[in-house]
Amino acid sequence: MTRTKLFARLAPIALTAIALIMARPAASFTPQVNVSNTGIAFVNHWNLATIHYTINPTLAPDMVGTQAQAKTAIQNAFNTWTAAPNTALSVAEDADSAIIDPNAVPAGTNLICFVCTNGLNFNNTDGTLAVTITTSDASGVISQANMFFNPNLTGSLAAPGACFTVGITSNFCPNGFDFTQDLQTVAVHEAGHFFGLDHSAVARAIMFPFAPQILQTLSWDDVAGISFLYPKNIPDVPIGTISGTVRLSSNGVFAAHVFANSTTNSDLYTTFGFANLRKSPVGTLSLPDGTYTLQGLPVDTYQVIAEPLDGPVTANNVDWGLNFRLAVPTNFTTRWH
Amino acid sequence: MKRTSVVPSLLLVTALFATTATLWSTTVIPMPVERLAQISSHVLRGRAVESWSAWNQQHGLIYTYTRFEVQQTLKGQAPATIVVKQLGGTVNGTTQHVSGLHYWRSGEEAVLFLRQDERLDGTLVVTGLIQGNFMITRTPTGEALVSNGVHGASSYQVSGSQATHVSEFQGNHMTLRELESLVAKSTGKAVQQ
Repeated sequence: MTRTKLFARLAPIALTAIALIMARPAASFTPQVNVSNTGIAFVNHWNLATIHYTINPTLAPDMVGTQAQAKTAIQNAFNTWTAAPNTALSVAEDADSAIIDPNAVPAGTNLICFVCTNGLNFNNTDGTLAVTITTSDASGVISQANMFFNPNLTGSLAAPGACFTVGITSNFCPNGFDFTQDLQTVAVHEAGHFFGLDHSAVARAIMFPFAPQILQTLSWDDVAGISFLYPKNIPDVPIGTISGTVRLSSNGVFAAHVFANSTTNSDLYTTFGFANLRKSPVGTLSLPDGTYTLQGLPVDTYQVIAEPLDGPVTANNVDWGLNFRLAVPTNFTTRWH
Repeated sequence: MKRTSVVPSLLLVTALFATTATLWSTTVIPMPVERLAQISSHVLRGRAVESWSAWNQQHGLIYTYTRFEVQQTLKGQAPATIVVKQLGGTVNGTTQHVSGLHYWRSGEEAVLFLRQDERLDGTLVVTGLIQGNFMITRTPTGEALVSNGVHGASSYQVSGSQATHVSEFQGNHMTLRELESLVAKSTGKAVQQ
């Protein structure tokens, strides 16, 4: 086992370098990507200086809270991402919308809706809480993102459902047998998709596919992701990069989960005034040739680990294999370096 | 929801399912196999043979359609091939992305828990968005394993205000035989060999 010491990279990232990075998903975290027929991957991202969104504040019948509280939860969710260190991301809320049909959202409008249904196959019995749909072109540029919350989560005595709670700490749904789900928690995760992030295999990340009922803050892995997609010219916190190749019998391994885990008690984000970030490993998935690049790592000492996607996150939870049209191998054991 | 028949003792167990963790993807509440089977009109094992994506009539949503060759029916009646419809896909360079959804490649095998599309257009959709898709892989010894990528759901038997933990559901790790057995218990139908 060797340890890798990272040193600060204080120099601003050149725009040309950013352009090159965006054409190849060498990111720490898992981005949404569009892969061309020739195998070139384009990371999904917005190209707008400010991303506008609009909320239809109409609440579903089983939501607990007020329209104002629901809007605040959505605003907080977006602000959680825009306030991330090393991140240049701006959002603005437009006037409220009355749209209730996902098919009626005009191009360029990014809708947050609690009562939309048509075409989404929402059903009150199958447990689907929310869906975010991003629309992007062949080069990965996102032109639209809509976030739909299931408006009918009410279950029954025989099959409990859920209800969204907003702005309150109540543990009770209108139907006492349903389970409460914090709206902002789901919104923060869905906002990650809204900005172009896929699921992360890092367990403490907000983009991890599984979560408790309340979790409203970002982890280091989430920060690495969002700051990669929308980097500040001059980072708030010094960061570095670890790169390498995962090999098995000299062949590159595709879709290995590679993550860097700090071996110290250092928390540079807190030192630089960014509270409420969970210290976590920073991970990525290896490319078809086995190479990986872990970016956005706060200066620290790290252990680098490669493991197969064999649980708790599997190829079912991330789109990496699908995007590259390749099977995800799991025939290797975890390795430390 | 239709349920063909249910073993009485199982009815008690499945009387109330509680979940201890939220799977958020595309966010869903994890469900045990028995519940997935109960709320699905069809449960079948199939092999993907082709897929295509298209805009819907309103040109608002892209769907990906996958045709499956049906190899085994565990619940419901199914023709030799079925078409499963999912949100998202790519049409003429425009991609609609829904994280967490698995779009099948030709040749992939899966046990699918399905229900009718809300538009009743003849297509089927995966129950629970992603939960009703148990991908099949085979070990070097030939044993078939299934996974829907979901973990962490517990089932509880509830009596009055008391909830008793019954079992932990692990959708990540299960053999095909175990899955078939759970579906059979839920539907009261013997496992087809």
